[in-house]
Parts: sequence; structure tokens; C-alpha cells
Amino acid sequence: MNAIDKPSNLFVPGSMPVPLKVDEQVAKLKKTLLKDIQRSAYVYRVDCGGCNGCEIEIFAAITPIFDAERFGIKVVASPRHADILLFTGAVTRSMRIPALRAFNAAPDPKIVVSYGACGCSGGIFHDLYCVWGGTDKIVPVDVYIPGCPPTPAATIYGFAVALGLLDQKLKGTHHVEGEDERVAPIFPGIPLDVRVQIEREARRMAGYLHGRQIAEKYLALLDLKTPQELNARIQQYLAQESDPRLTEIFSRLHAISSAALG
Amino acid sequence: MLKLFKTIFKAGEATTKYPFAPFPVSPGFRGKPELDAERCIACAACMVACPANALSIKTDEAAGTRTWSLFLGRCIFCGRCEEVCPTHAIGLTPEFELAVGNKQDLYQEATFSLQNCAVCARPFAPTKEVNYAMALLVQAGTPEAEVEAQRSNFETCPECKRKKNVLSPVKLPLGQHMNKGMPK
Repeated sequence: MNAIDKPSNLFVPGSMPVPLKVDEQVAKLKKTLLKDIQRSAYVYRVDCGGCNGCEIEIFAAITPIFDAERFGIKVVASPRHADILLFTGAVTRSMRIPALRAFNAAPDPKIVVSYGACGCSGGIFHDLYCVWGGTDKIVPVDVYIPGCPPTPAATIYGFAVALGLLDQKLKGTHHVEGEDERVAPIFPGIPLDVRVQIEREARRMAGYLHGRQIAEKYLALLDLKTPQELNARIQQYLAQESDPRLTEIFSRLHAISSAALG
Repeated sequence: MLKLFKTIFKAGEATTKYPFAPFPVSPGFRGKPELDAERCIACAACMVACPANALSIKTDEAAGTRTWSLFLGRCIFCGRCEEVCPTHAIGLTPEFELAVGNKQDLYQEATFSLQNCAVCARPFAPTKEVNYAMALLVQAGTPEAEVEAQRSNFETCPECKRKKNVLSPVKLPLGQHMNKGMPK
């Protein structure tokens, strides 16, 4: 409770909260601990106003399928037992003080993990009037686990990164356009209006993401030369997938393309 | 006791080997969106579609560039960007190992150059988008030489095009009633 009583960390209306700072000595202690960690790491989950999707995935990560407990990662009921604090949710205004209390209750050195899209940045709630938008606005964060929600495998990977057992794979990238870069239209062999009709029909039938994927598959087959070969390929593909819904969509796409292309 | 061991043996092990072995994701898994920047025309359709505002585009008129940026910390992996992309430049990959220690590593960026207007010399659209629109016209059946001859028109900003149209009244389609009184 000490840190939140300090005037520097008091909430001033109309201003952003100042994130807590890590003590230099604590940081050193944490480094020494992580260099040669030979014990279990206990996790306390701090819900800062999330939708509970993240909680479901955290508990999926300790089920027998993923079994985080085989690495000694155990979810505990009190922050006083915790080594890792898992902050989920976009940090609503009313959950700021409880989150700080949980942070201060955990013994040093502690690892703070920001979990889920909301924890990392506020997620889809980032510009809401009642959220601070991310864990790092109130406490110093060691590891960010993005995802909405992160899958159990991503959760285990995040814990491994937090404990220094695995290296971070993702790197920030910045591509700069090269000289005279040009983009050729997709499926150049198919007339534009036919392609648009096929894509529209597939999306109407199968919804947004899968409609596009199905249309792409069909157009890739359509790029072939002779009609007999096209029919044979389509039959083979449909037999391989053996999905009546896909067969229906493909028959409609085929009707469109044969009406337009003859 | 023996029976118990037998049951355990029969049931096998349900626990996945991850992280010691790669984790096989299900088909249709929605992981990290990956941009193929060479296929991107910076049209900003993905930015408009993104429900979480993870995608943003900043236009720097002075430098004549447009920077596309994906903040993975905000992405909800819905695949809307993949759906709307006209050139299939962005797509979700099965990549899920996205945890980072440094927040800056969650940003994926790409910078594109802007086309300067042929008349007023101000940037108005990405160069690649203008070229792509011309390539689409060719694909739709317009002869390539004809499209290329119109290049200066394509490289003119909408405002200058409007002004040009006002100065040449023959081209101005005002609607059937207004056009009646126009000089032929």
C-alpha cells in the first residue's frame, strides 16, 4: 500500500497516471534470479476489467492438454504468493487502485506480464473514456503477450519468455518501398468482372474470411486451360474435401464462371 | 495396481509436447497478420476495415511518404484485413509465438512513396496505387497503349481534374437537362 500513498502516484483528475518505477536494486535482484531460476514460478492473475476471455485461456493453459504445472507454473489465489503477476483487461479507472494494491502486495522480485490485446494496449477499448488503455500505463511491464485472447500455447510461450527460458521471436520491422515497385493484378488470366462476381458470390455464401479463401481456391483452379481439365480438378478437390457446403458453393461459382466465360 | 498401469498405458498421453516440439495449429488458425509489402499498394482498405484500430496509416505530405503500421498489441486477429485486401498482400499466418519484452517489437511498419500531382505537384495518392489502377484497366480490356497515353490524367489529383474539367466544358457531364443548353 505504500507506493500508492505517495503523492507522486496519486491520481490527479484530468491527467494520466504515472506508472510505478522499478527500484534499481529490485531490478538487479530480478536479473540474478532469472539468470539461474531453479524453482517454480507462481502466477497471480489480476483482472483489470477484461471480458474474461483471457481468464478462460489462462485456465485452458493449466488443463492436462497444455499442463503449465509441469514447468512449475501454478496459478495461486493471493498476490502475496506470486512471482508472476498476470494483468488482463484494459485497466478500467475503477480497477486501477485494486491492480496497484495487488502489485504492491506481491513480494519483490516480481515479473509483470501484460496479457491479451487489452493488457498490451487497451485493445478494442483503447479509446474508451473509462479505461487507461494498457497495463504499462500503471505498472512497469516485463513481457507483453498479444492475442485476443492468446491461445494456451501462446500463454506458455509467454511464460517461457518471461522466465528467460525462450528467446523472443518477433522483431519490429520497417519495410521501405524499393525503386519502381509495381503490383500486378491477381489472376491476370481471368476477366476482372468475372473475378469480382465470383468473389462476391463466394462471400455471400460463406461469410467474409472463408468466402475469400474459397473464391481464391476456385479462381486458382479456373486458371487452368481446358474446361475438361477444370472439371476434373474441381471434382478431385471436392472429393478430397468431402464437404457438402463447399460443393454447393463451388457449383454456384461454377455456374457464374461458365455463364460468363462460355 | 497392474490394472491402473494398464489403463494409463491404454489412455496414452494427452499433454502436448510444446514448447519442446513445435505446436501444430488447427487448419484455419488465425495467427499473426503478415504484410507482403511488395504486393501492398497502400490503399488503406485494411486500415478502414480494422475494427480494433490496430492498423493505422500516417501520411507525411512534406516527405511525400505514407507509412502503414500494424500494432500487434492491439490486433484481435479477426482477418478483416485479409478479406478486404485487393492484392492479397496481407494475410493471417499460423504464427502465434508473439510474446515480446520490448513493446516496440510489436510494431510492423512499411513506408510507401506518394505520387505527386502532375499539375499542382502536391502528393495525392500512393504511386503503387496509381500504377495498380492502370494495370486493372488493362486487365479489364482497355488497350495498354491507350491507358499509357492517359498517364498524365491518372497522375493528376482529383481537385486539379475538376478544375481541368471546368475549363473544358465539352467534357463536363452535367446531366441531360443541363447539357441541352451547352455549346456543342
